[in-house]
Amino acid sequence: MAEKPDKKDATLGYFTVVEDERTGWTGGLLILDRGGRPLEFQCTLPLRPTRSHEILFGPTLRAHLVAEVIGKLLIQKCRTPVTLLCCDQPEALAVEAHTAAPVALIREAAEADEGPMTGDMLSGSDCLQIAGASFFVPIERLSEVEAVAEYYGDLPDAVEPFERIREAIKEAHSQLARQRPEAA
Amino acid sequence: MKLPPKLRLFSSDPLSPSPANDTPQVAKDLVAQIDPHRSWQAESIWTAETYTLPLPAMNPAAIGIRLPKLTTRTSGFLFPDSARWIPPATVQGPAAAKPKRKPESGRKHNRIKPPSDIVKLQDRLYYLLQPPLDLLVGSGQLNFPFEPFPYQLDGMAFLFPRYAGILADEMGLGKTMQAISTIRLLLCSGEVRSVLLVCPKPLVTNWLREFSVWAPEIPITAIEGSSAKREFAWRSPQVPVKVANYELLMRDEALLTEGDLHFDLVVLDEAQRIKNRTSTTSQVVRSIPRTRSWALTGTPVENCPDDLVGIFEFLSPGYLRPGMPMPQIASRAGDYILRRTKDMVLDDMPPKLYRDAELQLTPEQWSTYEAAEKEGVVHLENLEQSLTIQHVFELVLRLKQICNFDPVTGSSCKLERLVADIEEVAASGKKAIVFSQWVKSLDKIKEALQPYGPLEYHGKIPQKKRNTVIDRFKNDPSSHVILMSYGAGSVGLNLQFCEYVFLFDRWWNPAIEDQAINRAHRLGAAGAVTVTKMMALGTIEQRINDVLDQKREMFDALFASGSAEAGARPNVGLSREEIFGLFDLRAPCGKKVA
Repeated sequence: MAEKPDKKDATLGYFTVVEDERTGWTGGLLILDRGGRPLEFQCTLPLRPTRSHEILFGPTLRAHLVAEVIGKLLIQKCRTPVTLLCCDQPEALAVEAHTAAPVALIREAAEADEGPMTGDMLSGSDCLQIAGASFFVPIERLSEVEAVAEYYGDLPDAVEPFERIREAIKEAHSQLARQRPEAA
Repeated sequence: MKLPPKLRLFSSDPLSPSPANDTPQVAKDLVAQIDPHRSWQAESIWTAETYTLPLPAMNPAAIGIRLPKLTTRTSGFLFPDSARWIPPATVQGPAAAKPKRKPESGRKHNRIKPPSDIVKLQDRLYYLLQPPLDLLVGSGQLNFPFEPFPYQLDGMAFLFPRYAGILADEMGLGKTMQAISTIRLLLCSGEVRSVLLVCPKPLVTNWLREFSVWAPEIPITAIEGSSAKREFAWRSPQVPVKVANYELLMRDEALLTEGDLHFDLVVLDEAQRIKNRTSTTSQVVRSIPRTRSWALTGTPVENCPDDLVGIFEFLSPGYLRPGMPMPQIASRAGDYILRRTKDMVLDDMPPKLYRDAELQLTPEQWSTYEAAEKEGVVHLENLEQSLTIQHVFELVLRLKQICNFDPVTGSSCKLERLVADIEEVAASGKKAIVFSQWVKSLDKIKEALQPYGPLEYHGKIPQKKRNTVIDRFKNDPSSHVILMSYGAGSVGLNLQFCEYVFLFDRWWNPAIEDQAINRAHRLGAAGAVTVTKMMALGTIEQRINDVLDQKREMFDALFASGSAEAGARPNVGLSREEIFGLFDLRAPCGKKVA
């Protein structure tokens, strides 16, 4: 269990992966201070699995890409220590293997794609409220997250940062698109 | 085949009845003996043998499909650990007390978007990844004395990242508040440290007052007084915001341009003042060393698109050129300008009710008017080729003055009507503003309105007393009317507690009239604002009004699309030909307009 950080050093990591038919899979990791201001942003270049990957990984491809490839890489590259990592895709919970920080699934964010979620759907997790949203956290890390939850009282919105990542990825893609014709 | 040794055979008698006839069958047993030695068997023909078929072993070739490891690269950006924008309010509930997040209502957040002239991805992401302003307000991280309207947050989100921008909202939408709040955000986040605000002289106190409301923690000073005092104020680093008027800039030009002064941000209020690129004001303003340049104006284009070119010379010199085609100006300037009208953003703005007071001149006025017009037109016609537009102006002004008051008897149909209306306004405990272009007219009106506590606010009232006048008008219940000249009272003042506006005479340009009306019809207005436009029937006033009405209709039609409106704004004043046309005169060909 990681040592409890000082309140002023508390950070929040937001991790999501955007899938786009045209560009591929792009991941973004946004680190915020406890008031929701950006400290660091890491994003991947779009990743396009081949047909072989699709056939051989089958239904496990998404989980592999999200947690083992993109999530792992972003966490490795991130320079700011993360106190709590939030995600909006259940597959992303597996990034826990690559970070010392507890990983939480934010229900209100996940429900946008996954539909209504209940505790039964995430066995071994418990739910707690931070900044007005429901965080599903593995039971064994619950007390750790509860101890830092109070740090995030000023956080304006626990779900909205995922939108920022998507906007930033869109911006990065449009810059890439502009650069390509120039390069050509 | 081996037959049984004894076979019983049946032979049927063809004559015997068939079993179908249900008659008893007659059968005879035949017995045949088979001699096994003389008969044959199958085994005696074929001998049993075993055949072996060889089956070759299957040895498949293995073809390996190489599955490349899924991998990608990352780009990382570290952002400055900027200070919190605004100190959080002291009364903050604990995290647990935060109400459950409301589901998305579908309303877009007021997100800061980088302008197109910010190119570097890291810089663009810095703005994109900031929390939306509406959420900061909701969480208590951003505090305002009054809750801003969503469009005002959009205005702040527009200005915040811009190094060059025009906030061109219609009068009354709160440009001052939006500018002050954004300056406050920039100062608190450490993005700027020194700000210069330039405004017309009468508005300096208004800016100071608005700052004390919207950014009370930010030190601000007005540059004024003796030369030494002003120099000290200019160089005072501990005051981050300085307010100066346009006229003063010209006096302190040397100090501004030759010294080591530099401003992180210069904001021009009523920026239409620099629409003429060759004017001294424009040149001095453009020479101020600065990093960011913002312009605030409700009328970015007053007469022609080149007005906008003048403002852009301050924002981004050379970006627009005089004579550029209108569509090109609109497309190039689009990202730099934010303009909203009340109709676009306010659903709950009180209505503005127009009431045309079409009055018949008193007999005394009429007789003087007719004589003056007749004599004047004859004079103009006699001038022939030496006729200039100035001559026509002079006649128009003389006739308009007669429409206000008969110069001989002092009789006035407008004053009679005004007194009756103000009596009603005062009886209902309301307040009114009366506008005229002549101080002499205002003096006569003041005399007639004495019972209703009239106050004056025009060019003859010293600057120092003007604030007191406004405060008194606001707070003195016995003062029901304030008399203003268009020049002094048309910009920057907040008189939203007034529900009645009277235009005793009309200005040439409807934009100026609108500015005057919007002193009362603005945010926070107590209720519907009734605007009474006084007009003497059958006179020059009616003729001017008809021309302006047509123009206003054309303007509304052009702006209905709501796109690139600043660039597409037509000339809203009277053209040279229209002025000559007021008296059915033809403009002398080739004559230079005076």
